[in-house]
Amino acid sequence: MNKYTCPFLVCIFLIIGCNKKAELLFKNPPSTKTGLTFKNTITETNALNILDYLYLYNGGGVALGDINNDGLVDIFLSGNQVKNKLYLNKGNLTFVDISEKANIKGNSSWNTGAVMGDVNGDGLLDIYVCAVVGINGFYGYNELYINNGDATFTEKAQEYKLDFDSYSSSAAFIDYDLDGDLDIYLLNHAIHTQESFGKANLRNKRNYQTGDKLLRNDGKTFTDVSESAGIFGGINGYGLGISVADFNKDGYPDMYVGNDFHEDDYYYINNKNGTFSEQLKEHFSHTSRFSMGNDVSDINQDGLPDLISLDMLPEDEVVLKTSQGDDNFQIQKMKTQKFGYHYQYTRNMLFVNQQDAGYLETALLSGVAATDWSWSSLFADFNQDGKQDLFISNGITKRPNDLDFINFASSEQIQKKIDKTKLVDQEALEMMPSGKMQNYIFKGAENLSFENKSNDWLTDKKTVSGATAMADLDNDGDLDLVVNNSNEEVGLYINQTNKKASYLKLKFNHTAPNTFGIGTKVYAYNNGKFQFKELYTVRGFQASSEPIIHFGFGLETAIDSVKIIWPNKTTQTLKKVVLNQQLTIKPENTKPFNEASLKGTSKKIFTAVKGQLGINFTHEEDNYTDFNRQKLIPYQVSDQGPAIAVGDLNNDGKEDLFFGGSKFKKSKVFFQTDSLYVEKKIEVLAKEAKKEDVVALIADFNNNAKNDLLIGTGGADFYNKSTPLLDTYFTQDSTGFTKQELPEYFENAAVLKAFDYDNDGDLDIFAGNNAVSNDFGATPNSYLLQNNNGVFSILENQPFQNIGMITDAVWEDYNGDGFTDLILVGEWMAPKFFKNTKGTFTEENKVASNLKGLWQQIMPFDIDNDGDTDYLLGNWGLNSKFKASESFPLRMYYADFDDNGSTETIVCNAKNGQYYPIVSFDEMAGQIISLKKKFTSYKSFAGKTIEEIFDKKTLKKARILEVHNLASGYLKNDNNTFVFIPFKNELQISPITTLLKHDFDGDSKQEILAAGNYFGVSPYHGRFDSFPGAIIYNEKSTELGNKIGLDFHQKAVKKLTIITLNGTQYLLATINNDAAQVYKIKK
Amino acid sequence: MIKKQYLVVSILFIFLFTSCKETSAPIKITPDHLHTTIDKVVEIMIHDIFSPPVASRVFAYPAIAAYEIIAQNDTSYVSLKKQIKHFKGIPKANSEDQINYPLAAIIAHINISKKLIFSEEKLTKYRDSLYTVWQAKNEKEFNHSKAYGLQVAAAVTKWMNADNYAQTRTMPKFRVDANDESRWQPTPPSYMDGLEPNWNKIRTFVLDSAAQFKPVPPPKFSMNKNSAFYKEVKEVYDISNEISKKGDTSEEIAIAQFWDCNPYVSVNRGHLMFAVKKITPGAHWIGITKIAAKKDSANFNRTIYAYTKTAIAMADAFISCWDEKYRSNLVRPETVIKAYFNSEWKPILQTPPFPEYTSGHSVVSGAAATILTEIFGDNFSFDDNTEVAYGLPIRSFTSFNAAADEATISRMYGGIHYRSAVEIGVGQGRKIGGLVKKQLVLKK
Repeated sequence: MNKYTCPFLVCIFLIIGCNKKAELLFKNPPSTKTGLTFKNTITETNALNILDYLYLYNGGGVALGDINNDGLVDIFLSGNQVKNKLYLNKGNLTFVDISEKANIKGNSSWNTGAVMGDVNGDGLLDIYVCAVVGINGFYGYNELYINNGDATFTEKAQEYKLDFDSYSSSAAFIDYDLDGDLDIYLLNHAIHTQESFGKANLRNKRNYQTGDKLLRNDGKTFTDVSESAGIFGGINGYGLGISVADFNKDGYPDMYVGNDFHEDDYYYINNKNGTFSEQLKEHFSHTSRFSMGNDVSDINQDGLPDLISLDMLPEDEVVLKTSQGDDNFQIQKMKTQKFGYHYQYTRNMLFVNQQDAGYLETALLSGVAATDWSWSSLFADFNQDGKQDLFISNGITKRPNDLDFINFASSEQIQKKIDKTKLVDQEALEMMPSGKMQNYIFKGAENLSFENKSNDWLTDKKTVSGATAMADLDNDGDLDLVVNNSNEEVGLYINQTNKKASYLKLKFNHTAPNTFGIGTKVYAYNNGKFQFKELYTVRGFQASSEPIIHFGFGLETAIDSVKIIWPNKTTQTLKKVVLNQQLTIKPENTKPFNEASLKGTSKKIFTAVKGQLGINFTHEEDNYTDFNRQKLIPYQVSDQGPAIAVGDLNNDGKEDLFFGGSKFKKSKVFFQTDSLYVEKKIEVLAKEAKKEDVVALIADFNNNAKNDLLIGTGGADFYNKSTPLLDTYFTQDSTGFTKQELPEYFENAAVLKAFDYDNDGDLDIFAGNNAVSNDFGATPNSYLLQNNNGVFSILENQPFQNIGMITDAVWEDYNGDGFTDLILVGEWMAPKFFKNTKGTFTEENKVASNLKGLWQQIMPFDIDNDGDTDYLLGNWGLNSKFKASESFPLRMYYADFDDNGSTETIVCNAKNGQYYPIVSFDEMAGQIISLKKKFTSYKSFAGKTIEEIFDKKTLKKARILEVHNLASGYLKNDNNTFVFIPFKNELQISPITTLLKHDFDGDSKQEILAAGNYFGVSPYHGRFDSFPGAIIYNEKSTELGNKIGLDFHQKAVKKLTIITLNGTQYLLATINNDAAQVYKIKK
Repeated sequence: MIKKQYLVVSILFIFLFTSCKETSAPIKITPDHLHTTIDKVVEIMIHDIFSPPVASRVFAYPAIAAYEIIAQNDTSYVSLKKQIKHFKGIPKANSEDQINYPLAAIIAHINISKKLIFSEEKLTKYRDSLYTVWQAKNEKEFNHSKAYGLQVAAAVTKWMNADNYAQTRTMPKFRVDANDESRWQPTPPSYMDGLEPNWNKIRTFVLDSAAQFKPVPPPKFSMNKNSAFYKEVKEVYDISNEISKKGDTSEEIAIAQFWDCNPYVSVNRGHLMFAVKKITPGAHWIGITKIAAKKDSANFNRTIYAYTKTAIAMADAFISCWDEKYRSNLVRPETVIKAYFNSEWKPILQTPPFPEYTSGHSVVSGAAATILTEIFGDNFSFDDNTEVAYGLPIRSFTSFNAAADEATISRMYGGIHYRSAVEIGVGQGRKIGGLVKKQLVLKK
């Protein structure tokens, strides 16, 4: 070896060493070592393919549990067409196939989910295997393998009356009546095609084959109590997911059922009397659409079970653009309003439990929305750091929703055959692309966040992975995974956390017949924090996990205490629990437990006022849909109403209310009387019904000691120089209101703010406008209206005249020079500061120019209590398909792309540094027909950047509008320089559209109340509808609206206002397309 | 060596001789060239999924360009210049050029067709294979004819592009109002948006406006049992029940399927959705035009004349029909029958995605049959094999009008139209055909 070789080798070694990936969290020992050779092979035949059976690729089941009580967890796997297998764990991750002897191979021709539970209460795990029977020649029935205690089983489904021959997906164990034994919820699926949606009420008519069933354990047999218990069982129930948990923490288990396709998911709240009430619409603002598996865990450590429901949104740009997407706006409207379905969107949904109030839905914000064709979700603390992680299995043998297949490939192959033969041959099926995928895993983080760790923690092998279950297979304390793959050997994922972090495993030795303590709750306390878990073994999809509770505790060696709450609502506490062990706990020295005792002592600041003080105003939107006309715009302009203004309109010294109406709807006026508000018709105002009022101002503009009224008009329907777009001005004298001239401008209004900027004793107006009808993306003019004896004229050439799509404004002396300045916020722009020097405005750069947002509101408020004024800013929020950052802002290209005289907007997100249009090919090519010539297949378009879609010349003529930041937050004032600080994620769930400053809790300090939600986006974005509002006390302290008595879930709050009646202050919330709300403020 | 030289010379001689011989032969263009070209365009339109109104535009403009070229050279035909809206005619060929007019006509046809369809490479491939043959046959004639054909195509394209098609792409979608029972609603299984709600903004060819033959309004929506509307709904429901009783082999089902001509039938089976694609009503009548021209042994010029006049009548028929569809915005039988008679009901044909009144197939059939009768005469019997490629049998007709009548009634058998829409529709079409027949003078 010469002297150069050695350093050379070292170099190579270093390079290899550098490139070597850190060890994966899960390793996959081969079947040659483990003996786990089970393979769910699907054999497609001419008589059986995805055309004949829609769930051909859903896969088999997996159940984990120690069937022979030897301390080692055994593995049961069901196969669709292949025989079931039972593997006995022999230690050291070696398994022996005992299927033959155990007598569990099965007699049904198409098996699905498999679950373990002690059905007969003898302390041994029995196995229930579901089957699809009665279609495609499938025969057999759901089989119940009763454990004989000697590693053999006897099939006794008939004896227990569990031998259903229907279309079953899975089953879950639940002691719903708390009588101490395990009842069963049987999850069935429809095969009914999408041919006709049918109305939602189809679910009321029970159907044996497709309907879910609740089966009460009566000791020796099970009784179908579905009907009397209030369980839906219709022909439209495509049940694929079931989770059991005491969602509302009242001591009785509830259920969430995920239904595929158009049928809503079901949220069954236990009525504590053997019946359930389905309350999905009350508690969930929207759900996943093609709901698959789901799972429950307390992800934010507030003691409430949170929920994920899986769907099939692809993360990959190519798959995304070649797959069928969401319904369009109109069809969704029809399904929700006409057919009675709830809002459903194609993506995973993460629901954060608020107990009695509606769930927050945060999947986009949390980063878990898009995991492609997903089946099983399992929450667990895989790395044992104290936060719940999330595993998601996914993949599909063939993608039947591939758009090229639907539109091009299929027809040419199928066309001639379809009428003649029932069959479509394999050749056509082959044209569907494969959907083999890497599974996903997310690391749980603070602030409702998850971090995608798929590449760091999991093998990158592409599989079709379905049913998944968890257990500690090697008894090293961490949780391993068993994944039933299609056409591939079963996946074994062995967790390598080992001794790097601490765990605690709890096994229950509960009173028979619920010997494993299903339904037991555990709180593990340490350092003033706690983790909460509830034992339900049927989780994810078509599977059941080891019947234990598992916690991770990072580097701790012991924790303060563990509180066990048994299913019968008794409790016992273990103190100073040493970690890294498995404890077997049986009920001892139990005390009665009251669930309500855990409820936080929340101080309700607001109480809804019955009768609304007479303010029975309901805003009703007109039928105009922006997306029918401006088909590519990112959000609507037409839904900014109603206007609300407070002021004395009848000169009795009491403040009255003006509510503006939408297009063709009359405005309404409520006069304040001694005890309540009374509606009063004012003819001259009603005459202006044609206009859509979005903002209004009551003040004495002409200094005649009587209030006048100024109304800003929007609606986006009228266009060009249509007079219904003009703002309106009424003055009042002793004879009443008279309409007055205003300067003519036709933009869609957003804000009117009055201030005597020139110190001449009358109120001038800043009229901020948001959009130009039919030309979204164009910059509208905003105006300074100068008041001369009650007559307004436009003061031309102001620096803010053509500054952007304004949403809000505030007159505020931000530089403390004694002159009131003007601050503007808007969409696709940064907050703008204009210094007032004796009536002359000049723009000042007070914030970084890369603070362009979709700003909705601005409110001055000293949030950090340092004596200067900070500015709170409502933005779009982070729970959105829009993505924006300083380096890769959200972009909107605005141009007449097809040279046909009307403009289009194309909004693009950056992915991996490249910009891709958010809209689908059909939406885009429907507007810009030349794209159909350029891209003759979806595949040719998919994955193309905006630069690849349009030539340079076309793109060059486009104006690019940008957004760097979507978070709501505040401009922190440090010596008159402003730095933006985002609010925490709870306040980023929806756009914040209104901010109100007031001393709500009577502590003599002002707080800010924030509210929002917004529905004017296409179904691809979904509605922003789960934000309950929030009170902001200071920089550190906020509280969600539902905890302080507000009910803004599923409401698009437009404006919060304080009104005073008889010296008492109330909160008035004005809501788009809904009834206004009045709250008493508790002080 | 000498021998070799001789050989070279003789080979050269032979080569020159043969090539001289070939350059002197004119390129022969037969009606089949035209038929094949149109068939090719139809095939691509099926692949690309063109809706019926848009397809009608694709038949008209290439045919007009081709027709204008042959009219330059055949005194028995008259140019459409000033006869159709805003059309200022085409440039004349350079008299010194060696122009093969039918060849130039085909070249212009292909060129404009290529602009109109999406999957260009399919047509380019077809074109290039023809070009190669023609070029080899007589390069000079080919080059001159090609240059002229493309020159004409450019002129016609310029006129075509001003027909408002581009503008209609950005116009508003149909507004769904699920609370208005009388108003059209998207229908199962795909619930597609209303197709081409602004087609009446497309420039007409012969009609003075889209509304020139505005039909009487449809019976007013009412579910009162004595109302005309109710009776018409009931009739559709009754017919469908009756047909269902007769079974799949009934004559009515055969008729309904034969005239289905729905370019995009979505099929849901299991988890799978796919489209069964067929020709449009316009393409069906273009197919009948081909059958008639062949049976008539029409020469090239007569064939292009027949295609052109039929295509113009149909294009105007679609504009007129769509004008009424989005005026009356009438709800389809499927929506009403499911709401009032039987929630499980399904029409025999899939309901196409646009308002009911009047029936597009009826209007276009009325218009096309009127023109074909003018050209080929009444009582012109023919065997219609247009649908054989889609697995349907041949049907025979005694006349174009008989075929139109059957196409008309087929929509009621199919459960997608009420009686008024088909009866008034076919009348509307015949009026349009009559106007085109009278007003457009193509044949001297």
